[in-house]
Amino acid sequence: MAVTRTISLAIESRPECIELLSSAVNGLCRLTALPATDIAQIELAMVEAVNNAVEHAYHGEPGHAVMVEFRLAPDRFTLLVRDRGDPMEPGKLGAPVSVAKLNEADPETWPLRGRGLAIIKSCMDSVEYHVCNGENTLTMNRLLRGTGSGPA
Amino acid sequence: MVVTHRTVDGIDVIALAGRLVMADVPQVRQRLLETVERGGGKLILDLAEVGFMDSSGLSVLVSTFKAARLKDGEVVLLHPSPTVRSLIELTRLQQIFSIFDDENMALNRLR
Repeated sequence: MAVTRTISLAIESRPECIELLSSAVNGLCRLTALPATDIAQIELAMVEAVNNAVEHAYHGEPGHAVMVEFRLAPDRFTLLVRDRGDPMEPGKLGAPVSVAKLNEADPETWPLRGRGLAIIKSCMDSVEYHVCNGENTLTMNRLLRGTGSGPA
Repeated sequence: MVVTHRTVDGIDVIALAGRLVMADVPQVRQRLLETVERGGGKLILDLAEVGFMDSSGLSVLVSTFKAARLKDGEVVLLHPSPTVRSLIELTRLQQIFSIFDDENMALNRLR
């Protein structure tokens, strides 16, 4: 019988701890048939989600917990990133992905920030965000399609 | 992250090696901005040994280019890995950064 295997890890809300999760997601993805390019996309989505928790939910303040749950099912790889900091602005995740056209001649049009969610949505097949009892959860799914392929 | 610097014909060439992620951003941003400040504002960023980059790493590239533009300079990118190149293209930053796979071509662009 096919089962979903789950592992949960937690780090302190410090940027230098995020690499620990990167190593974990790389190792877990190697249990699937996903090619290296797909694994890199999943790692990038997770790093962006954890970056957001550290930087936006906890405002860069160390000493808080960021939890990541990895679920490996026969048909999908799911990551849940949880924090108990400030929640994301309502509707922000559902807003259409729009990466503004950059004017090469005008550096004022070159944003320094705000690319994380667009990256997450492009790397994963589905992304959901829930707030419940003070806990924020970003759930990201990547479907497993045999030898692997990019998100739909 | 390892940062190495050399100069070719007055053009700064900085090679980054490792992961360019949030934890490395303060150190790398400071080093790149200092290079732009001290130099002529023409900078080649060699990304061949950068195996992974996130959006905070991209912000370093953009802020460095903005600083270079204040000196009428330019920042170009040299042989990014496929992973980094796809991130750049996903975020459309190839609209402002010229990307080269050959250092001489990058140098000629800035001469």
